[in-house]
Amino acid sequence: MRDGIQAVGGDAALKRRAINSMALAALLLGTVWALSIGQAKADDLADGVKAFKPFVVEAIGNTLKGAETMQKAVDAGDAKAAQKAWIDARVGWESIEVITGEFFPDLDESIDVWPDAKKGFHGIEAALFAGNVKDIKPAVDELVANIRAFDKKVGDPAYQFTAQGILNGTAGLAYEIGENKSKGGESPYSGNSLADMRNNIHGIHVAYDVVFEQPLRAKDNALGQKADDEIHVIEAMLKKAPDLKSVDVALLRKTSENLAVDLQEAAGKLGLEKPKLGE
Amino acid sequence: MRAGSGFVRSTFAIAFAAGALLAASHAWSFPIKGTEGILPADTELGEDVGLQPRELFRSDVNGGKHSYLVNLGDMAFSSPGIFGGPARQAGMSCESCHINGAGNAKLFVPGMSTRHGNFDTTGPLFNPKADNGVLDPLTPPSLRGARFLAPYGHDGRLASLRDFVRNVVVNEFAGAEPTPEILDGLVAYIQDIDFLPNPRISPDGRLKGKATAEELRGQALFNKPFPHDPGMSCSGCHIPSGAFVDHKQHDVGTGLFKTPTLLNANFNAPYFHDGRYDTYDQVVGYFDKTFDLKLNAQDRRALVAYLNAVGDGEEPMQADSIDAELDEIANFSSTFDISLPEKNMTVISLAVDTIGTELRELQEQFPERKDRTVKGGIEERRTARAHISDMVLALRRIETAASQGKFEEARAEYGAFKQLAAEARPKLAAAEPWSLFNPPVREAHFAALRELTTVADGGSVTPR
Repeated sequence: MRDGIQAVGGDAALKRRAINSMALAALLLGTVWALSIGQAKADDLADGVKAFKPFVVEAIGNTLKGAETMQKAVDAGDAKAAQKAWIDARVGWESIEVITGEFFPDLDESIDVWPDAKKGFHGIEAALFAGNVKDIKPAVDELVANIRAFDKKVGDPAYQFTAQGILNGTAGLAYEIGENKSKGGESPYSGNSLADMRNNIHGIHVAYDVVFEQPLRAKDNALGQKADDEIHVIEAMLKKAPDLKSVDVALLRKTSENLAVDLQEAAGKLGLEKPKLGE
Repeated sequence: MRAGSGFVRSTFAIAFAAGALLAASHAWSFPIKGTEGILPADTELGEDVGLQPRELFRSDVNGGKHSYLVNLGDMAFSSPGIFGGPARQAGMSCESCHINGAGNAKLFVPGMSTRHGNFDTTGPLFNPKADNGVLDPLTPPSLRGARFLAPYGHDGRLASLRDFVRNVVVNEFAGAEPTPEILDGLVAYIQDIDFLPNPRISPDGRLKGKATAEELRGQALFNKPFPHDPGMSCSGCHIPSGAFVDHKQHDVGTGLFKTPTLLNANFNAPYFHDGRYDTYDQVVGYFDKTFDLKLNAQDRRALVAYLNAVGDGEEPMQADSIDAELDEIANFSSTFDISLPEKNMTVISLAVDTIGTELRELQEQFPERKDRTVKGGIEERRTARAHISDMVLALRRIETAASQGKFEEARAEYGAFKQLAAEARPKLAAAEPWSLFNPPVREAHFAALRELTTVADGGSVTPR
C-alpha cells in the first residue's frame, strides 16, 4: 500500500505510516538523519506542532555540522571537501525551508541571501564550485555563525513553533516549488537544485504528516487525501527525474499550485487563517 | 556537415548537463549560468533589459479593440505550452525571440548562434527532426507590418503566414499540432502588429517635411540605376510605395533571400538574414563593393542618412511597466469570456498556463526579502507578491473546476480572478519603488547577479 493514499485509522496504522515515511525520507535523501524523524501523526494541531520541532532541531543540527565541516575544509584549502560539505549542509537547510523564512526571517535572509556574490550559501556556492576557496573564508565564517545562532534559537526548550506559521511556510513553499527552474534553479553553480527541491518537498511532507494531516482528515477526509496525494506526486516526480532538466515543469507547477490551493483551503477547516503566499 | 559539428555537439552534451523566458515569454538577456538548466550555459535572451520594443496594433490604431482571436494569438505567442521538448521545458515562447512582435538583438544561444541577434532554427537543440546538420543561424525578424511582407521566412519559401507559423511551432520547436483555432489566433495576432508610424515619409514612401539635403541626396541615389546595370537600383527591389519590398527573392551574393522591408529597420539590427552587419554603413559598403556602385564617402553618408530617415518610427521602445503587464494579462484572460461558455478546455488550459507564467514573472519583479539589493518596502513587496500568488491560484481553481465539468463554478472562479485583477493595480503600484520596474533597483539587482556570474566564472569581486 502506498503511504498516504489510504485513509488512516488506529495507532498501528499511524505507526506503520510513520515508518513508511521514514523509509521514504531515507531513500529520498540518502541520509541517516532522516531516519530519526517521522514522529507519529498528531490528532490535534498543538501536539503536531510539538512533534514537529525535533525534526527541525535535527535538520538544523545537520546543517551546522555540514557548515562546520566546510569551514574546516576551507581553512585547509581543500575545495573538494568543502564542496561536499556545502552540499551536505544544504540537505537539512532546504528540508526546513517550511519554517526558516516564516519564523526566522533575519537569519534566513543572511544565510540564504540572493543575489549576493559575497555572502550566504549562494555567494559561497558561486566561488566554491569554481574551485575558489581562498576568497570565501569571511563568508563561510559568517555563515557558520548565523547557522549556529539559528541552531541555538531552535534548540532552546522554551522555543515553540505555531501551527499558523508552519502552515504559512508549508503552503508558501508548495507554491514556490512550482517556480520556473529553467535557468538552473536555486543552486545553479553547484548543480544541486534538484536535490534542494527534493529536500523542500520532504520538509513539506513531514510538516503535513506530523502537524496537519490527521486534524484535517478529521474535518475533511477528501481534502486531506487530496493534499497527501499531491505531495506524493511531487515527491515521486522529483525522485524519478535524473536531473533538473528532466522534471516535467508544467506538471510540477500544476501540482504545486493545486497543493497550495488545498493548503489554503485547509486553513479554514483547521481554524487557521488563510496563508498568504509569495515570500 | 555542420561546421565544427563535433565541437558543437560536444558543447551541447555539456550544455545540456549544463544550463532561459520564461522564464519565458519575456526574454532573458542575462547570461544563464550553472549546470542544471535547459538551455546552454551563457545563453542570453534579454532579461535584464528594462526597455522593450513598443507594440502597436492595427486594431488600436483604428480605435477598435483586440478581437478574441487576436488575444488568443497574442497569448499563444507568449506561451511555452505551444512548443514541445527543450523549448517548452526552458519556458521559451515565440515572444522569446520576437519581443513584443519585434526582433531580439540580444539573443545568443551558444552552439546555435554565431553572434548576438541570430539563432539556428534548424539545429539539434529544439527538434532533432529538424536538424539539417549545418550551422546556419538566422535573425528573428521583426513582425511589424508582417501582413504586408509575404512571402514568409528569410528565404521567402512559404507564401502563407499560417503555414509558416505552423512550421515554426511544429518543426522548429517540436510543438504538438496546434488546433485550427490557435493557428487562426496566431495569424490574427501577427497580422494585427503594425509598423510604428514614421512621419518623415509619405504614403508613397517618399521623404516629406524637413528632410536634410543629405537625406534627399540619399533618396536620389537610392532611386538611381546601378552604373553597371541600369535595370537595377536599390528602389527596384525596396519599392518605396510598397512597404519597401517587392515580395521576391534575390541573390545579392549571400544566397537567395527575400527583400526585407526598410520600414522601422532602424530597430531591426543586426542586418542581412544572418545578422552579419551591425550598421547601415556596413550594409551600404557591402552593396557598393558587390555591385560596384562607385560610391564616394559623401554618397555613402547620404544613403545611410536616407535609410535612417526611412527606417525611423515613433517611440520605438517603451519601459516595461506594471500597467503594461496588467493590461496584457487582462487581454489574455479575456479569452475566458468565450472559452468558458464554449467549454473549450484547450484554450482554458492554455490561458491558465500562460497567464500563470506571466504572473509568476511579474511576481519576480517584486524581489523577495532575501534580495538585499533592494532597500526597504518589505511589506509593500510582500503584499504585491501575495496578491499575485492569489491570482495564480485563482487561475488554477478555474482550470480545476472546468476540468471536472463544473463550468458554472469555473465562471464564478473567473469572476473572483477578475476581482483580484482589478485590485492588483494599487497594490502593485504601492510596491513599484522597490520593484525591478524602478531602473535603479533593477540595475542593483542585475549588478548583483552579474557579480555572481563573475565569481562563478572564477573571477573575484571586491569584498565589502
